Amino acid sequence: MNVEDFFNLLKDAVLLAGIYAAMSMGMTVIYGVMKIVNLAHAGFMMLGAYFAFELYYLPERLPASWVERFPLLGHHVDPILGATLALPTFFLFGMGVYWLLVRWLPRSDQPTLASLLLMFGFWQVLQNAGYLIWKNEDRSIFTARTISPPLHLGFLSFSVDRLVVFLAAVSCVVLLQIGMKRSWFGMSVRSLIQNPLASQIVGVNEEKTRRLAFGLGASLAGFAGALLAMLYTFSPDFGSPFQLRSFVIIVLGGLESFSGVAFGALVLALVETFSIQLVPASYQAAISYGLLVVVLLFLPKGIAGLLEKKWRVA
Amino acid sequence: MAGGMTVAMPAGSSRRAQVALAALPVLALAVLPFAGMPPDYTRILFTALVWITASIAWNLLGGFAGQVSFGFAVFYGLGAYTAMMMMNRGFSPYTSFLGSMSVAVIASFLVGLPTFRLRGPYFTISTIGVTEAVRVMMNNLSITGGASGIHIEEHAQFHELDHYYSALVLAAGALCVSMLVANSRFGLALRAIRQDEDAAADLGVNPYRCKLWVHAIGAALTGAAGGVFAHRAAVIYPQDVFAFNVGIFILLMPVIGGIGTVWGAVLGGIVFVIIKESLVARFPKVHLLLYGALLVLIILFEPDGLAGLLRRLAGRTRILLGKQPA
Repeated sequence: MNVEDFFNLLKDAVLLAGIYAAMSMGMTVIYGVMKIVNLAHAGFMMLGAYFAFELYYLPERLPASWVERFPLLGHHVDPILGATLALPTFFLFGMGVYWLLVRWLPRSDQPTLASLLLMFGFWQVLQNAGYLIWKNEDRSIFTARTISPPLHLGFLSFSVDRLVVFLAAVSCVVLLQIGMKRSWFGMSVRSLIQNPLASQIVGVNEEKTRRLAFGLGASLAGFAGALLAMLYTFSPDFGSPFQLRSFVIIVLGGLESFSGVAFGALVLALVETFSIQLVPASYQAAISYGLLVVVLLFLPKGIAGLLEKKWRVA
Repeated sequence: MAGGMTVAMPAGSSRRAQVALAALPVLALAVLPFAGMPPDYTRILFTALVWITASIAWNLLGGFAGQVSFGFAVFYGLGAYTAMMMMNRGFSPYTSFLGSMSVAVIASFLVGLPTFRLRGPYFTISTIGVTEAVRVMMNNLSITGGASGIHIEEHAQFHELDHYYSALVLAAGALCVSMLVANSRFGLALRAIRQDEDAAADLGVNPYRCKLWVHAIGAALTGAAGGVFAHRAAVIYPQDVFAFNVGIFILLMPVIGGIGTVWGAVLGGIVFVIIKESLVARFPKVHLLLYGALLVLIILFEPDGLAGLLRRLAGRTRILLGKQPA
């Protein structure tokens, strides 16, 4: 591997890390506030992908007379715009799911089995509803950007699609960071993560924050799903490898910290990108799963040990 | 109430009743093929018995010890593959089933040694990683035939009843193990771990070791179930026996039936096979949707599963009966 290859792989890893960070943020928000490992994350991501897909191909479905009357409808909705629209849509959807299912779960300061099984069952419902609606076919969103020639910067070459997705993901993550630092909601979320009891004493409305946090988690998952749909083909089974990656990332990052997520995303992206040099491509899928087990093996105290180490460094 | 019927039967006096309760259906199933049962029913019962075995096995770890694993497909698949490969090398099917059990036990330690360092829910998630990693590996290894699967090379004469009785013996054995564990010191230790791991450790239980052992027992039974299944199926594919869905099904049955009870696991297995057999051919995706919805409903409304529902209904009828003037 020469220097140019190395830097190109490094660039690939950074681009990948951007989208990984965006997709894991939703899981961290939900975990942090209500200690629920959102196993329906994959379902939300899958719906986000199809949301962008349906919006993009909408003009071809609409009757011709409508398009004639309203020429605006004839335009394809760019997946980036689709992803942005996914944010409010999935926010409402997530709050609906919270209202319908999640709020009945017993509260706990650590993940409960009931929450795990509930979210898992809901994922199965979403996934198989997806199979009923969209059938078991691989779909992709094919835009003008998909085939446009890569940009060159010195010896680095950037695929336009990946660059756009990276920029969208990173701006979302940055905006989220600012929101978490500045807004009342962000402060409520962070205080609930730190100390639920104390934050209630100082006037944080726990129920409302939980509802909003679940909505936010779902909207980030939908957003990430729509972005990923630009890069990969998808089927109703789309989210499951990314869901496990999200979990690996938030475990690496210490589960409740937003900056930890960025760190975890970078680690996983680096490992995945550079392992192509060593491991045959057909075993690629096992990398993130393997990494999860490796993290467990080398951090025998599990997540708590990881957190302690992180604090010691910081 | 006359007859001394109490809601919770004391463990000592009910043991004989429990054994009788278990022996009756097993005996009934044993004589059923001679009572003119149609061959198609034999096949369905075979399937049911294999799934019930896996359900009981999962319930030992997930129900009694409270450690939910999504990864039992690993043992099921390894059992199926081991049996297949041993039979192809000239071992008798029954020796091969023992081989399945041993391989599954070894695998259970390989999986359990690192993952049981994690507490409850984190263990659960790590099992998702393990089962996916194993599936990817089995899809690519050449020794197992890769994605194109593996089949029995020498066909002995096919006796439906052979398969049926091996499944029945296995399921009955699993039921015995489950009842023994439920009534033993070991079972008490497992329940203590489920309720509070730290408190159990303070009382002199070694949670790590207990979990490893019950995981191994569950794996052995699941591996044997995989072997029995493979012997009848004659062709197996990694995407079938190692499928993530297999792990889900194995987990769903006890949850539907009633997690942590001997009979809940059996009940869940029966309900599962009924739904599967009546829906899977006509609506291949709907039955998964239904299981997902069922899981959601059970968690929200009846966390003790069908067994809990039955117990509650029985309690209500008893109250109704008790209120009636004698």
